[in-house]
Amino acid sequence: MERIRIDYNKCTGCRRCEIACSLSHVLDTINPRKARIRVMKEGDQFFPVIAGPFTDAACNSKGILVLGGMVYDQCALCRASCPTKPTIFREPDTDIPLKCDFCMLLDQPGPSCVKWCTFGALTLVEE
Amino acid sequence: MNGWTGKVLRVNLTEGSVAIQDLDLETVSLVMGGRGLGVKILCDEIDPKANALEAHNKLIFATGPLTGTGAIASALCSVTTKSPLTGGIACASVLGNFGAELKFSGFDAIIIEGKSKFPVYLSIMDDKVRLLPALHLWGRTTTYTEKLIKAEMGDLWKAREMCIVSIGPAGEKIANIASLVHEDFMAFGGSGLGAVMGTKNLKAVAVRGTKGVKVAHGNRFLLNTSHLLKRIEKDPLISEKVRNLGTTFLVETLHQMGFLPSKNFQAAVFNGIKNVDSQALARSILCGHRSCLACPMACLKTTETKKPPFDGKGTGLDYNTIAMLGPNLGIDHLLAIAKAYYLCVQLGIDPISVGAAIATATELYEKGILSELDAGQSFRFGKSENLIPLINLIGEGNGFGCILGTGAFRIAKDYEHMESFMGAKGRELPPYDPRGIQGMGLHFATSNSGAYHLDGFTVIDEVLGIHGEPHPLETEGKAWKVKLFQDLTAVLNAMGICPLSLMCIWIDDMVTMVNDVLETHYEVDDILKIGERIWNLERLFNIKAGFTGADDTLSERLLSEPIPDGPAKGSILHLDKLLPEYYRLRGWNEQGIPTEEKLKDLGL
Ligand code: SF4
Ligand code: SF4
Ligand code: SF4
Repeated sequence: MERIRIDYNKCTGCRRCEIACSLSHVLDTINPRKARIRVMKEGDQFFPVIAGPFTDAACNSKGILVLGGMVYDQCALCRASCPTKPTIFREPDTDIPLKCDFCMLLDQPGPSCVKWCTFGALTLVEE
Repeated sequence: MNGWTGKVLRVNLTEGSVAIQDLDLETVSLVMGGRGLGVKILCDEIDPKANALEAHNKLIFATGPLTGTGAIASALCSVTTKSPLTGGIACASVLGNFGAELKFSGFDAIIIEGKSKFPVYLSIMDDKVRLLPALHLWGRTTTYTEKLIKAEMGDLWKAREMCIVSIGPAGEKIANIASLVHEDFMAFGGSGLGAVMGTKNLKAVAVRGTKGVKVAHGNRFLLNTSHLLKRIEKDPLISEKVRNLGTTFLVETLHQMGFLPSKNFQAAVFNGIKNVDSQALARSILCGHRSCLACPMACLKTTETKKPPFDGKGTGLDYNTIAMLGPNLGIDHLLAIAKAYYLCVQLGIDPISVGAAIATATELYEKGILSELDAGQSFRFGKSENLIPLINLIGEGNGFGCILGTGAFRIAKDYEHMESFMGAKGRELPPYDPRGIQGMGLHFATSNSGAYHLDGFTVIDEVLGIHGEPHPLETEGKAWKVKLFQDLTAVLNAMGICPLSLMCIWIDDMVTMVNDVLETHYEVDDILKIGERIWNLERLFNIKAGFTGADDTLSERLLSEPIPDGPAKGSILHLDKLLPEYYRLRGWNEQGIPTEEKLKDLGL
């Protein structure tokens, strides 16, 4: 199965992935709030997060996360379109939760966000 | 509407009122948006002769049609006003995410007029536009201001998406060299704009939006941009230099060629260069890379200094800062330079201007003109201990900091030694020796916003040689090149694209992008004409403000003394040769005034 691998250390926070995702779902409008990938900034580090479904059971780890001496808000790094994050991963007009649907960029293979990420933070891997 | 939201926000601070008006499409077809829109509004609405620091002056935040669309480096929001530093037009570029967020909130531009009685900040949350009290933000550093405003939002997740431009304590104290800060890095070319915002008692502008920007040919735009991105990724200048080192690689490049000024342009050889070049940076403090919205270059570098008293962290340390606070002050202490830069960001002071101001004061002191009694301390080139206390003084507006905050030009004028000021039209020269880089010299002399490099950054061509071999010392064809770069940059700013993107895209790419988004049928010539129109509009504003062709010049030292040492020893700027040719190409008369025919041709 193909999967998108995220390399946080390569992400520069350019948000090109957000734009590509929004543009490939609504072909005449760019609106990162409608993207199914969001780039979260925690301190000086950027974390691309790809939206996934929310289940109550899976959400058992709310809190903070300590990585390499830095403290991160774990909800910011979680991919669920969940009630705790009322404005993230939700269609702003209708409030419908957004989930990654592994889109295709026009006639080219490969998801839009991966195609437009020029820094190699998002790559497609076979697993 | 494709590319535009079609709405402009007008904020009157005197009355505390807010009005929404339609974007004038006729203006847009003439000058596009961004800087073009800003200068057009200023020309129509303010008296160019009025004092820049009075309520009459206006501040225009304007995006371009491409801002926020995902076109290459489409992150720019221009801020145009009458500058307190030069008395002419000034245009800063706020990058990061601000311009896009403004578009997403449903506005193409904000016109800020009048003066508030007490400190306020402007909050734009989609259609909800409010002026909120900012007494609690007054005196705060820029980073802290952003934090406090975000905390006021209440909703943690919305707060994350907010974009804020603010001034620091220096702007509040109306220091002439105060600038704007967004997301912990300086606006480009913002020197003086912080003071204008400060006089208006406007601490910050905060936006968040959930609307989108329309594009005409989404498909084509996605594909064309993908191809462009592939090309840029393979470009060695971008992939090997800019992405890894930002613009700091220019430290060694320019020093090797002999164009890096040292000790207030009194030398071109700097012994400590190895301690401040990009290799030193990469070895010691570089810790990350950051991009503005949709930029494939990631020129912003995050640096961290751990050793007290220089400990700190920040983004955006670039060539200009290192050169102005380093070699131009004779300083080779990278940690001190980085710390000084972090302070500049926190206090909202333009690092180029502050470097120039201290350099001028140091020269005056070393020549015995400025006394220790006046300055409250001693100055010496190479004395890094001075740097941080001095910048703090400017932020506090205390003692000699008050004088430094007025900028190098006024210091030199006060002490009646104009030869110690390096610049043009009252604005300090960035660290590109105009005696060596001929095109840059001509640009500095003729630039509408005083000596500001990014308005016509011919270094990309002359030194980096992206269109062939580097040729800095030649004068042949330079007037034409300068005009081309000036017009191109003007139109890039008007589209909403970072001017540094000229390192990886060229006119035809710009034409493709703008046509894909706007559904227009622009050709290369149309685009250049828009740029030329903007340049001439700015020129007309300056002429009305009292500038003449006689102001198209540089400081005495740069015209009369050749480069004293180094590889480019002996070279001088051939302004007498370049300027008439430039006027001719521009269609201006010998006094540098645009002719009737030229203006008619441009439709002005
Ligand atoms: S794969 Fe497609 S839908 Fe999923 S985040 Fe990337 S661009 Fe969006
Ligand atoms: S496009 Fe890539 S580098 Fe840019 S923000 Fe997204 S993941 Fe990060
Ligand atoms: S080149 Fe640098 S400043 Fe310009 S948009 Fe890109 S990252 Fe920002």
